[in-house]
Amino acid sequence: MKFTKLASATLLSLAAVSVSQAVTLDIEITNLTQAQSFTPRLVIAHDDTVDAFEVGQPASSALAWLAEAGVIDDEQNADSSGANFEALLGPVDTDNGSNTWHRFGGLLAPKDTLSYPFDTMDKPYLSLLSMLIPTNDAFVGMDSIEIPTEPGTYTYYLNAYDAGTELNDELNSARTDVVEAGTGNALGGYGVPGVAGGGAPTRIVDLGTGGTGVGAQIVNGEIEDGEDGPVHIHRNALGDTDSAAGASDLDSTVHRWLNPVARVVITVPAS
Amino acid sequence: MNNPIIKLSTLLMLSALLAACGDDGDTGPQGPAGPQGEAGTDGQDGTDGQDGSDGQDGINGNSAVYTVQITNLTYSQPFAPAAVILHESGFHSFNEGEPASMGIEIMAEGGDPSMVITEAMDSTDFLDAQNSGGILGPRSMGAELTLVVPELDADDLRLTVTIMLVNTNDAFTGLNAANVSNMAVGDIKTFMTVTWDAGTEANTETAATMPGPAASAAGGGGEAAGYDVVRDDLADAVRLHQGVVTSANADDPSREGLSTSVLTEAHRFDFPTSRVVITRTR
Repeated sequence: MKFTKLASATLLSLAAVSVSQAVTLDIEITNLTQAQSFTPRLVIAHDDTVDAFEVGQPASSALAWLAEAGVIDDEQNADSSGANFEALLGPVDTDNGSNTWHRFGGLLAPKDTLSYPFDTMDKPYLSLLSMLIPTNDAFVGMDSIEIPTEPGTYTYYLNAYDAGTELNDELNSARTDVVEAGTGNALGGYGVPGVAGGGAPTRIVDLGTGGTGVGAQIVNGEIEDGEDGPVHIHRNALGDTDSAAGASDLDSTVHRWLNPVARVVITVPAS
Repeated sequence: MNNPIIKLSTLLMLSALLAACGDDGDTGPQGPAGPQGEAGTDGQDGTDGQDGSDGQDGINGNSAVYTVQITNLTYSQPFAPAAVILHESGFHSFNEGEPASMGIEIMAEGGDPSMVITEAMDSTDFLDAQNSGGILGPRSMGAELTLVVPELDADDLRLTVTIMLVNTNDAFTGLNAANVSNMAVGDIKTFMTVTWDAGTEANTETAATMPGPAASAAGGGGEAAGYDVVRDDLADAVRLHQGVVTSANADDPSREGLSTSVLTEAHRFDFPTSRVVITRTR
């Protein structure tokens, strides 16, 4: 009898400890598009001093790295060191005071669903960002939702935004017949023109070549990088139906989307 | 006459047993099984049992009554007849990322929603359904449809609606098991709907593959241009629709449009595509 009481007392104290610990959410994300893959997902739990993106405001360099190249931290791309979200937020999987964040790796293919556990470390808000590929600088964003505290399942629909840090030329970065105006740099990800991620293994079709440019036009073999910010709802890819000519190297019958582009289901466990 | 022989054989058997006992080794191998005996004859039927006592009356025989009204929010996409289904949680007429059922395919390509309803009726979660039966024109409100479910089921109620956009290959709008549980009499819930691509037909936008008036005006359309058993889309999976490409700008230098399309820019649509209002009236 005494032994039983001791055991239940121990259980109670354990339960009390677990209540005071931070909640581990289950975060499920579904790609609702038919031909846009999601780059590794940045998930941030944070307080009101952190704002990963804000419509109507210029993008940070961290957002530009994410939206143009899908890069969140040094491990993904050393060139981004000091300018990426890791620099902005602090070390990964750490209670950085104002925030804690994690990169959920791998590509999320069109129509696919993934879910992951995420320890919020008692921060009140949640943001989630991921680049849409193939695009110039489109990203799917969850903008500082208040993390629900009641146990249950909560569904959110996310829209596609334009980071505004690169003109939407819709040109295949694999092309060598076009270079960045002024610098002569090859097309590619961060800081240069061109659509990133065209060769991703989750692609639905190969990109075309020979497009003359959509949001910017090729002049004498050069294309301007440019800006079209601040951050706003993306006006969608245009694409065209000629893989060897036309304005775009994207396909208008394949690469377009309509909002929302993602569904996020957050499960708050019973304590 | 036979007795001595029998006795002799018994004695032999006994001695064999004794020898086996004294042997202390393993027993010998089993002999082959004998042939199966013949089946016996069936017994006679027993007498019937007595009737059971009557069951108790149900707790509540009342019905909950709902009306559903659909508004077409598009500029020029007529809506095919709607399947409107009330059911319990657990059932889905379709799931994003998965291949569409044949009922969804027939509805999304040709407009007839009746198999979507019969597929739902096969589920133990099914409660009631209506087929609106007519075309709902662009920019207009449909008639109120009435559905009745047992009042006991009102605490776990889902609404599924599927409607083809007829000037498309296989686009459909509606609701996928929207939660309408625990509505009190007089309560109204409004849903703004997205549009899915059924993933069962390539979006060629040609006269021969779409049933609606845009295809008819180009010499195609109708039933022959509706359901086709072949699944030839980019992926055989339901997902959100990307919108129609149309023939706009097909032949200018941008090549943005689809030259095989019989649609014009006027047939474009966006989300929300329809409004669905459900009211509990009793």
